[in-house]
Amino acid sequence: MRKHKRKKQGGFGGSENGCVTRESDCGRKHKLTVIHQALIRDPVDIETLRRTAATKGGLLTDELRRKVWPKLLNINVYDLPHKPGRDVRENHKDYNQVVMDVRRSMKRFPKGMPAAERAVLQEQLIDIILEVLKRNPQLHYYQGYHDVAVTLLLVVGERMTIALLDKLSNVHLRDFMDATMDSTKHILNYLMPILEQVDVELHDFMNRAEVGTIFALSWLITWYGHVLSDFKHTLRLYDFFLASHPLMPIYLAATIVLHREKEVKQTECDMAMVHHLLSQIPQNLPYELLIGQAQDLFEQYPPSLLAKRAALQSRKSLSISSFQAFHLSTLHQRPDSVLQRLTRAQDSTTSRHGLEASLPAAQGQLWREGNRMMKMAVWGLSATLGAAVFAVAQTAMDWGPDLILQLF
Amino acid sequence: MSKDSPEEESRAPGSGGGGGAGKGGSRRNRADDNVTILTSSMDFYRAGRSRASSSSLTSSVELSSSSLETSIQTRIFKIIVIGDSNVGKTCLTFRFTGGSFPDKTEATIGVDFREKPVEIEGETIKVQVWDTAGQERFRKSMVEHYYRNVHAVVFVYDVTKMASFRNLQTWIEECNGHRVSASVPRVLVGNKCDLVDQIQVPSNMALKFADSHNMLLFETSAKDPKESQNVDSIFMSLACRLKAQKSLLYRDVEREDGRVRLTQETETKTNCPC
Repeated sequence: MRKHKRKKQGGFGGSENGCVTRESDCGRKHKLTVIHQALIRDPVDIETLRRTAATKGGLLTDELRRKVWPKLLNINVYDLPHKPGRDVRENHKDYNQVVMDVRRSMKRFPKGMPAAERAVLQEQLIDIILEVLKRNPQLHYYQGYHDVAVTLLLVVGERMTIALLDKLSNVHLRDFMDATMDSTKHILNYLMPILEQVDVELHDFMNRAEVGTIFALSWLITWYGHVLSDFKHTLRLYDFFLASHPLMPIYLAATIVLHREKEVKQTECDMAMVHHLLSQIPQNLPYELLIGQAQDLFEQYPPSLLAKRAALQSRKSLSISSFQAFHLSTLHQRPDSVLQRLTRAQDSTTSRHGLEASLPAAQGQLWREGNRMMKMAVWGLSATLGAAVFAVAQTAMDWGPDLILQLF
Repeated sequence: MSKDSPEEESRAPGSGGGGGAGKGGSRRNRADDNVTILTSSMDFYRAGRSRASSSSLTSSVELSSSSLETSIQTRIFKIIVIGDSNVGKTCLTFRFTGGSFPDKTEATIGVDFREKPVEIEGETIKVQVWDTAGQERFRKSMVEHYYRNVHAVVFVYDVTKMASFRNLQTWIEECNGHRVSASVPRVLVGNKCDLVDQIQVPSNMALKFADSHNMLLFETSAKDPKESQNVDSIFMSLACRLKAQKSLLYRDVEREDGRVRLTQETETKTNCPC
């Protein structure tokens, strides 16, 4: 396997595995400041947010994820969809499948979570998925979509999940949501050409074994949420993918296969054996290293280059074609403080319905979800009521980031 | 798959060897019979029984999946398990290959693979079980790759869901559409029999269907530990029948410069008393 030379961009504090605690603390603090500053720039410094989401540690905390994820997808957090009503479950063709998949997706929830709390989130998950599908009749549910939805839900709560999932479904996940899986197969077809570029021997071995690419199917369509048992790793990858091209999960799949090159070559050259080996993803993968390698591969062998190959020419990917417009749309976002003012002004001029409608919903959510969701509600409230506080913080940030740093 | 078996308590302990049969094959005898094979043909019934008992001897055979020494020939028997979503395909294959019922199984995405070595009349055969996703979209374009060279097909339905039984017709058509030869044995498995009070698919209806498609019918519960023999017997009866048939793949391990060559064995063996 050809080694990738990786220039560390935006990396901080020491080497991949052995960085001194104080240095990494310092790097972390620095990264937090950088992210905060990028968030309050007008327009929002989206390139910096993308870079920080991809570099070491990703977005670091769930609190930051709640602020940065919406920016990465161009979502106005002051104009979120309302909680779905009861009618969302009525007459939907995918209802039964969604319920079956969500009800048995216990593994995706934190181990210590009380069953009652998990049950509430599972019901929310069903509503969220059906709501997004209802808003987009052109989209079709697939098993694994619920793994994406649950990852978002556990971090950003119900209403923001609807907004994020809606956007993702129309861009990054779009190919997987056709009526058939032909487009998904098409995306999987990028895997072998990437491997061929880097390690011909490995590529030929896998071809001889006729292993196909289905072993990577769940990786691709769930963004690895289905196969990773440690939620922290899933989040790390979601930070990366939310900030990347829709094909990035395939490039990561390639780095994982390349990373296991020796094991693969030592396996019997047989479809079943190689499929079995590769589909069992090791839980201790060096994610930071692999993410860097995936980015390198993407730069070296971009999709446009690979697409020149005959096998990839026949089909058009909606994810790829819509990504360009999506990317442009993210470049001119206003910071949250401005969005809040604008959204509020718009609300008061058009109607007061929005606020009134969202208030009982928020209370209902609080009542149903108990303590864990309290944090989220407080966060939501502070977002609505704390304009002044935010403005002060923003000014302080502009004047003295070091001062703000002390707070972390 | 979510309820405890209500009949577990009433089972006689130590009936592990499988109970006696009634007259004729077509009856369900779950209460005291671990091996419930339903068929209108007595011959099939007996065959099933004898295989089931051989499975209890071999299920503990210890083998390592990578025990591929030079010049060892291991016959491989490839079974694909298909059926609607949530009928218990994953649990069934877990029960056979791992011996236990997993407390949490999730939706299968794409295809999962499990393997178990079994011993039939002194010969070790690797039984490869391909567990497939139930959602229609997966089987339409993803699963076809795995129909290639299958030696047997296991159709699964949920006895508490009539729709999963009705859809079998589609599954059969699909299987035929993948050019699976008519000589490839197929069995029908009604799962979740432990949920006695929720059964929607009567045995005689399933039996009629199985007969009309020339399949053996098994009713079982992957969840109930007392039924694990029965789950074994499903796969073992297939393995045994295949052993008696021709064209079971030999994994002929000839290592030449690190390369492994696979060859097809077409010789007919008839030493299995089926």
